[in-house]
Amino acid sequence: MLRMRGISKSYGSVHANRSIDLDVAAGRIVGLLGENGSGKTTLMNVLFGMVAPDEGTIVFKDRPLIGHAPREAIAAGIGMIHQHFMLVPAMTVTENVMLGWDATGRWLRHTEVAARIRSASSAYGLGLDPGARVEALPLGAQQRVEIVKAIVRGAELLVLDEPTSSLSPPEIAGLLDVLRRLRDEGRSVIFISHKLGEVLEVCDEVVVLRDGEVAGRAEVAGISRRELAHIMVGRDVGAPIERRALAPGHERLVVADLRAVDAAGIERLRGVSFSVRSGEVLALVGVDGNGQAELASLISGMDRPARGAVFVDGADVTAGGVAARRAAGLAHVPADRATTGLVADMTIAENLALRAFDDPPMRHGPWLDLGAMADLARERIAEFAIRASGPETAARTLSGGNQQKIVLARELGSRPAVLVAEQPTRGLDPGATRFVVDQVLALREAGGAILYISTELEEALLVADRIGVLYGGRLVGLVRREDIDLSRLGLMMAGALEDLPDSAALYGVRES
Amino acid sequence: MTARAVGWPLLAVALALALTALLILAAGKNPLLAYAALARGALGSWDRFGIGLNKATPYVLTGVGVALCFRAKVINIGGEGQIALGGLAATWMALAFPQAPPVALPLLALAAGAAAGAGWAALAAIVRLRRHVHEVLVTLLMNFVGVLIVSEALQGSLGEPGAGFPQSPLIPTAAWLPRLPGSDLHVGILVAVVAVVAGHALLWHAPFGFRLRVLGASVPAATYAGISQPRTVLGVMSLAGALAGLAGGVEVLGVHYRLIEGFSTGFGFNAVAIALLGALNPIAVLPAGLFFGFLETGALAMQRAIGVPSSLVSVIQGLTMVLILAAMGLAARRPSA
Repeated sequence: MLRMRGISKSYGSVHANRSIDLDVAAGRIVGLLGENGSGKTTLMNVLFGMVAPDEGTIVFKDRPLIGHAPREAIAAGIGMIHQHFMLVPAMTVTENVMLGWDATGRWLRHTEVAARIRSASSAYGLGLDPGARVEALPLGAQQRVEIVKAIVRGAELLVLDEPTSSLSPPEIAGLLDVLRRLRDEGRSVIFISHKLGEVLEVCDEVVVLRDGEVAGRAEVAGISRRELAHIMVGRDVGAPIERRALAPGHERLVVADLRAVDAAGIERLRGVSFSVRSGEVLALVGVDGNGQAELASLISGMDRPARGAVFVDGADVTAGGVAARRAAGLAHVPADRATTGLVADMTIAENLALRAFDDPPMRHGPWLDLGAMADLARERIAEFAIRASGPETAARTLSGGNQQKIVLARELGSRPAVLVAEQPTRGLDPGATRFVVDQVLALREAGGAILYISTELEEALLVADRIGVLYGGRLVGLVRREDIDLSRLGLMMAGALEDLPDSAALYGVRES
Repeated sequence: MTARAVGWPLLAVALALALTALLILAAGKNPLLAYAALARGALGSWDRFGIGLNKATPYVLTGVGVALCFRAKVINIGGEGQIALGGLAATWMALAFPQAPPVALPLLALAAGAAAGAGWAALAAIVRLRRHVHEVLVTLLMNFVGVLIVSEALQGSLGEPGAGFPQSPLIPTAAWLPRLPGSDLHVGILVAVVAVVAGHALLWHAPFGFRLRVLGASVPAATYAGISQPRTVLGVMSLAGALAGLAGGVEVLGVHYRLIEGFSTGFGFNAVAIALLGALNPIAVLPAGLFFGFLETGALAMQRAIGVPSSLVSVIQGLTMVLILAAMGLAARRPSA
């Protein structure tokens, strides 16, 4: 039904897609697997006409799609269900289905569209009431509204971008059922995910992307979990680099039974406990969205836990905010450099003072000491080799690597007791990545305790003394550097390890 | 501030004047003569000049506060209500304590005005922070309430008996703001200049200004920096309210010497335009406010001299605002700008 050939797309020097081939036959569910940034979303945006490819051809139902817009993709029979729903909350299901749909004609025909929704809903077991307001529906039902929207508009190929990321386990099971019914009826589905369990359960075949290229493809029937996990985790990772062994010091960061519940009432952290000692790097790996962001914001004080406690050098800082934790010696490199770690429109000097502007020497009496801020900036620019014309340069004009150097210079400049580094190398080139890793290791040598949160297993192996996996809001395996078993880690990251108590419950997966 | 950032407000003013010139042409008059008459009316004599400064005073005071709010992305458009309550409180103070020492009375009255404006703005901030109602809505609607409270007071206890118009009795001369002898110019413009300098120092040289700028640029970055959003929003709103209340007090004590219904003729709304024209820089709010003030004093002269309606000045002000917003929109669409 769909043939994509040699799709390439570059953003500047980044190759998001490199000569990717993708075939989807009628009545098949194809899983598209890959880490963040592996090119899944770009490929689907090319298919849907939201991004024009640099090279490559798309043929859908024997007709070429060239330079098409999303509207034409929909008309051709491609339905896209985004991770974040494109619905108007205040409108009813029927109104959302009609919205922006050319085929509704000049006048709105509520009853006719509602009847079609009703029949599609019963045919696929969607259980939707056409008159219900979308804002009153749970997330799983809102997703089914997206699905019915695509079906009623005649989609024969449905693309679902990480459809399970915000669903509860029963909703996930229901969604997978719907997809099977669609397949049995002759429609095709591209199922984008980085969760191994779901892909194995519902897909007929799977295509794994890594660094913008196809890293492997296989029939699901003929592949084991272990093999698939290996393709996904990736290229052969060499043995961990030997580093100077440090005698384990005292506990500097202690996290006890942290729990977090998001606005929708879903538990994002389900009781995480660990400690990090002086001279130790604890790396937490795992696929994005398994509680990393929540854990980091609870430890750094940007959010308050539903339960649990955080100790820095023995002092309970749970009740304090960001400032109290900073005072206790906790530094934080946030994942989102562009809007959290930095203020893009402010100068390097101001960004270096971002968290200390209210303390001497930046503050002198009731005023800011702009001279001291500039002096400090000049010092840090030299020390961290930040490539910029001077302290007054706006942060936004710098490269990603140099922006991250500002964040590191600010956070490490205060010689912290504890560093929480969240995805500190995301989007950086190899040289800048190396710089970040070296800085983290230097802090380790100096007796700091480092919590290193990463989605990149290789990189975690480079820095970690101990490594653990965050999966489904739990810390599921905590092993010393010398006991690391790569395939085991890969399985744990994908939530497919046998001794993980609730993976079966979470996905409704039956071990065979 | 880059040259570009200074450039576009000037460009907007020039374009607004050019477009208005076309309107004057269409009305069969010579735009150059009209503008010459306008300039003469605004700057032609010390007397006219002084009146222009008086007009500019509430604009500058309120505009500085709005600029600070907008820097923190707190969209305070409640200047009108804050001015109204400031004028009310200043009048009440001046009428209630006529026997206070002569120098103390205007100071007390101005302080009362500032406090009332600050309280009114803080109320809006609290509704925003506690009930999550957007401040645009809260401040806008509270303008009507504020203006009606003034009317209510003038119909009741604060009204002048038998005046036939909703206004208060004259306040005691001891409360009047000092004037430059032989002119209408009162000391309000000096107060405004002090506010401009203080606003500049606060924004660029004080921790509070740093908080404002970080909060305005990125809420997550502010959280990360340990900046309290509620405290900062409450602080900047109260400050802007105090400046607007002060403007209301200055109008009463320096121009009308009594509280009159509708004494603030859109000062609060024009202050938004002035803050934007000043690129949200307190220093640049001063020329922006003076420009609006002089336009208004020149308008009547232009009408008298060549029969061009003075309401054209509102067209210039409106066009300036539209063009500035258009320039800001264009700048925002260009990611590198």
